[in-house]
Amino acid sequence: MSEKERILKFHILRYNPQIKGDTPTMKIYEVQEAPGMTIFIALNDIREKQDPSLQFDFICRAGICGSCAMIINGQPDLACRTLTSKFPEGEIKLLPLPGFELIGDLSVNTGKFMRAMSERVESWIHDQDADNVDLDRLEERMDPDVADEIYELERCVECGCCISACATKRMREGFLGAVGLMRLARYATDPRDKRSNEDFYEIIGDDDGVFGCMTLLGCQDYCPKDLPLQIQIAYLRRKMAMVR
Amino acid sequence: MKVVYTDSLIIGGGLAGLRVAIAARQRGYDSIVLSLMPAKRSHSSAAQGGMQASLGASVKGEGDDEDVHFEDTVKGSDWGCDQDVARMFVNTAPKAIRQLAAWGVPWSRVRRGNREVVINGEKVTITEKNEAHGLITARDFGGTKKWRTCFTSDGTGHTMLYAMDNKAIELGIPVHERKEAIALIHEDGVCYGAIVRDMITGELIAYVARTTTVATGGYGRLYSVTTNAVISEGIGCAIALETGVASLGNMEAVQFHPTAIVPVGILTTEGCRGDGGLLLDKDGKRFMPDYEPEKKELASRDVVSRRMTEHIRKGKGVPSRYGDHLWLDITLLGRAHIEKNLREVKEICEYFLGIDPVKEYIPVRPTQHYSMGGIRTGATGESPTLKGLFAAGECACWDMHGFNRLGGNSVAETVVAGMIVGEYVADYCQTNPLRIDTKLIEHFMDKEKNKIRAVLKRSKGESPIALKKEMQQIMMDKVGIFRNEADLTQAVEELKDLHQRSRNIFLRNKISSSNPELVEAIRVPKMIRLAQCVAYGALLRKESRGAHAREDYPERNDRDWLKRTLAYWKDENEDLPQLEYEDLDVMKMEMPPGSRGYGADNTIHHPDTEKRMAEIEDIRKANPKADRFEMQQLLNPIELPEKFRGKNERIGRGFN
Amino acid sequence: MESLIVDEKIKKSRIPARLDLIQSGTGLILGLFMWVHMMLVGSIILGKDAFYFVAKFMELSFLHPTGEGYPAVVFFAVLGVFTLFIIHAALGVRKFPISWKQHAILRQQMGMMKHSDTNLWYVQVVTGFIMFFLGSVHLYVMLTHPGQIDPYLSANRVINHNMWPLYLVLLFAVEFHGTIGLYRLCMKWGWFAGKNPVESRKKLKRIKNRLAVFFLAVGLVALLVFSVIGIRHKDRVGEPYKPQAAVEKTLLVSNSSS
Ligand SMILES: Cc1cc2nc3c(=O)[nH]c(=O)nc-3n(C[C@H](O)[C@H](O)[C@H](O)COP(=O)(O)OP(=O)(O)OC[C@H]3O[C@@H](n4cnc5c(N)ncnc54)[C@H](O)[C@@H]3O)c2cc1C
Ligand code: HEM
Ligand code: HEM
Ligand code: SF4
Ligand code: F3S
Ligand code: FES
Repeated sequence: MSEKERILKFHILRYNPQIKGDTPTMKIYEVQEAPGMTIFIALNDIREKQDPSLQFDFICRAGICGSCAMIINGQPDLACRTLTSKFPEGEIKLLPLPGFELIGDLSVNTGKFMRAMSERVESWIHDQDADNVDLDRLEERMDPDVADEIYELERCVECGCCISACATKRMREGFLGAVGLMRLARYATDPRDKRSNEDFYEIIGDDDGVFGCMTLLGCQDYCPKDLPLQIQIAYLRRKMAMVR
Repeated sequence: MKVVYTDSLIIGGGLAGLRVAIAARQRGYDSIVLSLMPAKRSHSSAAQGGMQASLGASVKGEGDDEDVHFEDTVKGSDWGCDQDVARMFVNTAPKAIRQLAAWGVPWSRVRRGNREVVINGEKVTITEKNEAHGLITARDFGGTKKWRTCFTSDGTGHTMLYAMDNKAIELGIPVHERKEAIALIHEDGVCYGAIVRDMITGELIAYVARTTTVATGGYGRLYSVTTNAVISEGIGCAIALETGVASLGNMEAVQFHPTAIVPVGILTTEGCRGDGGLLLDKDGKRFMPDYEPEKKELASRDVVSRRMTEHIRKGKGVPSRYGDHLWLDITLLGRAHIEKNLREVKEICEYFLGIDPVKEYIPVRPTQHYSMGGIRTGATGESPTLKGLFAAGECACWDMHGFNRLGGNSVAETVVAGMIVGEYVADYCQTNPLRIDTKLIEHFMDKEKNKIRAVLKRSKGESPIALKKEMQQIMMDKVGIFRNEADLTQAVEELKDLHQRSRNIFLRNKISSSNPELVEAIRVPKMIRLAQCVAYGALLRKESRGAHAREDYPERNDRDWLKRTLAYWKDENEDLPQLEYEDLDVMKMEMPPGSRGYGADNTIHHPDTEKRMAEIEDIRKANPKADRFEMQQLLNPIELPEKFRGKNERIGRGFN
Repeated sequence: MESLIVDEKIKKSRIPARLDLIQSGTGLILGLFMWVHMMLVGSIILGKDAFYFVAKFMELSFLHPTGEGYPAVVFFAVLGVFTLFIIHAALGVRKFPISWKQHAILRQQMGMMKHSDTNLWYVQVVTGFIMFFLGSVHLYVMLTHPGQIDPYLSANRVINHNMWPLYLVLLFAVEFHGTIGLYRLCMKWGWFAGKNPVESRKKLKRIKNRLAVFFLAVGLVALLVFSVIGIRHKDRVGEPYKPQAAVEKTLLVSNSSS
């Protein structure tokens, strides 16, 4: 905190596809650093004082909702919980997440992508009886460890970092990507989901699915929630490779 | 003019909105959900601590049932709630949680055998029963007699919202993202949908529907420091207010959470204290037992927040450049527990404070957290004054929280209200075919278009961001935890001034498509109106009840104030809301007003209280054989949709 | 019954699963083969006799009545490896960035993130591409000269037939490709993950680096030794090596007949 009077230099990609003829340019903004400043605070400061048109997405500003992922000095990460003090040079370059439809500046349409992903992997419990459970009766029991394990896999916040960090996904549009594989692994672990391995194979048993993953591990290394992506993709791969 | 027709329009894709949409869809009605952001990013996902439902599976929840939950909820509300609704709620909550379990929420489960927990600062071993193994477990939360708060580690809201949204996706319910409802379409006391702005293209679209449900969450952002998301700005409430027909209830009831981190206001869950964390002052002394010998750190939130503020005022706060704060100590819970059950808290401490809560104290301070008030609805969730308009979740004053809601009762409300209100929404769809004149749609469309045009055209005036900041500061300084006549009067005046200035907003960035400044320009005048409802309501309510604490009127005054504030904004040109009051009928209460058992008790009683007590006593005597269900029917007969009327089973006691 | 038939019809092809297994299987065999290969070739460091012994041993000389061995064994071994090599390469090529655009994206991504495992994969692609040509040449040579592996003949190839530049490049290519490939195999299938996969990964990466250094060292020294032998042997190109001690021969014979 000693160098608190620093002037930070933000290099931000500016582009509004809604405006005809606009072209992407990098713009530089200077911001006086404050103690405990996050990129969330800094960007709002820029919007308030320098450029009201700057677009970005923050919701929870607490690292929980996953809406603020962007490329920060080359690394995909959640901007709201990135302290500016992390960058000793005081130069911070911000780009929108690649691999998603750009809305404008730093804002991308992860929602559309994630909905499509959820539909593709059928991200819900498949159990014909789920809608007929007698709500008055005791719930079905579940082993506490299994419940914990599922929760571990459900901590994904759909931020999209793993998509932007995956060169495979970037090269091959159709590839499901780590977030989708993770989601499927979550259901494959859940005893309430009655889908068989054959069913899962129908969803990810091809080169757009688990066999398309080239184990680049960008997903694993950039997931801000530290989900066990590598292990889970490997688990699915083993499972799917053994389907007869 | 782009018009989208549907049966059931739901504004808001949080837990409440999605659950209503699911209910309507399952009954065969087309539902469209609008959301500012992807539904899974709604603020419901931030709920860490848990959801209350009296399952009583954990050994510390033994003996829990609807009645105990009801009692806690009513006491928590400081008798400000609607007891019919509280009853509907507690009876349905166990079903809600069980349904969510079937839909995929990985609730943390009971593990048989011994387990070490921290109670009252000491390590205690509790033994979970063999038969309970694998059932949904629960933790302790403030203001509850039993351990009733069910959870998934510390990601309860996240897992609930994901399960809910996934269910909605399964049912093919469209969620129209990045769409903001900016006005309701209505005529002759009937609501027909909303005018909606596409936040990417800037296009205005009319969504026309048989029923319109507002589920837009809280309005914490009226305050400068809040635990709420930056989108919790209350626009849903504001557009209901702006109809002039619907009213907002109890807007002055604003909850402050005891433990948000300083300075940014990010919440550390009540689970920290529930699991045994302590509050310490600058001398490292645990001070809560001095104020609340009974419940200590786990008194209800309004009480703990006030005690903390009192303690800080006594000079016991830890000074910092951001003002005084206190410490939350969870070091005694141990690394294993923190890393498993309070991991989000740990992450927050690491990322935003740069400390390790396993070893260090967390700087905390009471911070705005929850809005008990909202769109006034009846027990069916429908506005009593604007037909076809429903509300559910935090934005609604369905009124099960009264003047203070208990931790864990809110996500529970979103789901339970979603289930119940959803059924009534479907009923309404069934009986009310859509009949609407396109002229009416055009009228509302043009009105909004013109407003936006006027703002874009103005070449000088007020900055919306500056106005908002001023408003937030006024609310923080003058309509906070402790309130008094002088501050409130000032606040009301200053807000009035802001409201006038807000008619003169101008933009530096004059484009109508995606433009964050324009979004502010649309929202800020609405937010100021909400703030006025809060401040004005607080000024007029001359008593202290729940979260509404008047220094000049410290007593709860049932005699004069056992009533709900209703705020209307009937005339657009007015500069103040019009307040009306709705009595709470003591003679219908299942639980007449009494002492909460924590906090100071200096109640001025209602004349009917004694009468009702006697009456209840008589009813009990007259029906000595009545079991608790029959008794409840006698004291508090409630209407619930058919499918939610069954009794709830519990381990060890069956359906009793 | 009817629904079963429908199910049967919409069933997704199992081929991608098989191909993935084959890709990894061939990679694994080739990767492990290269360890053995480098040790065998590296025996030249211990001396010509050692190498000669190994070469003959590989020709199963110990089964041969006069100890000359069966060059056909080598031929078939090479054929087998060549087949694996081709299958593996054919499957590997599928993963290459197939268009310029894809390649540009990959490069841009690497430049942006500077992420080690992504870069490692690119190394695999490039080395794979190189081996596609150089490896084929080497294997073709081995295929067509089965009986001609001995200290002198090999050294001749290295120096007098100017194979050394090819070997040098191939050595680096195969060692990088192979060790990275084996590390990736562990990641890909979740092998050796243990209780703490993050730690295990770090460990495996360390092992991978050490193996690469080790085999590169062995290969480079071996190449140097071949070069020295080759230069010394320059004027007698084509003359095979004669092991010095006949004792050894008898030893071998008695060994194989016992
Ligand atoms: C940090 C934190 C922790 C909490 N922890 C707990 C807890 O442990 N237990 C508990 O019971 N409660 C907790 N709460 C409270 C609880 O999370 C909320 O009250 C509840 O989730 C609100 O849900 P909702 O569905 O009403 O609204 P939200 O989840 O806030 O959803 C609002 C939705 O409305 C949409 N929207 C808003 N305005 C518009 C508009 N104009 N047009 C279109 N769409 C709009 C938004 O996009 C969003 O989808 C916590 C709250 C906070 C802030
Ligand atoms: C023509 C030559 C070769 C080409 C084009 C080639 C190409 C590739 C490619 C592209 C991959 C990555 C596959 C993936 O990411 O899914 C790969 C993996 C691998 N290669 Fe090769 N390779 C060649 C030769 C070799 C040789 C000679 C070896 C032996 C050392 C080898 C060992 C491996 C191993 C162990 C893997 C990991 C297997 C896997 O990821 O499934 N390759 N190869
Ligand atoms: C069964 C198949 C193989 C046989 C029998 C074989 C045999 C040999 C022999 C005898 C040598 C010593 C030099 C020489 O005689 O020319 C050699 C060297 C070499 N081989 Fe192979 N090889 C085989 C497969 C491969 C493969 C698949 C590769 C990698 C693609 C490879 C890479 C090399 C390299 C890099 C060297 C030089 C080593 C050094 O001295 O540093 N070989 N091989
Ligand atoms: S898996 Fe991780 S990186 Fe990917 S979307 Fe989920 S949280 Fe983000
Ligand atoms: S980065 Fe991509 S290639 Fe696989 S391991 Fe992760 S999905
Ligand atoms: S704003 Fe929610 S994760 Fe950053």
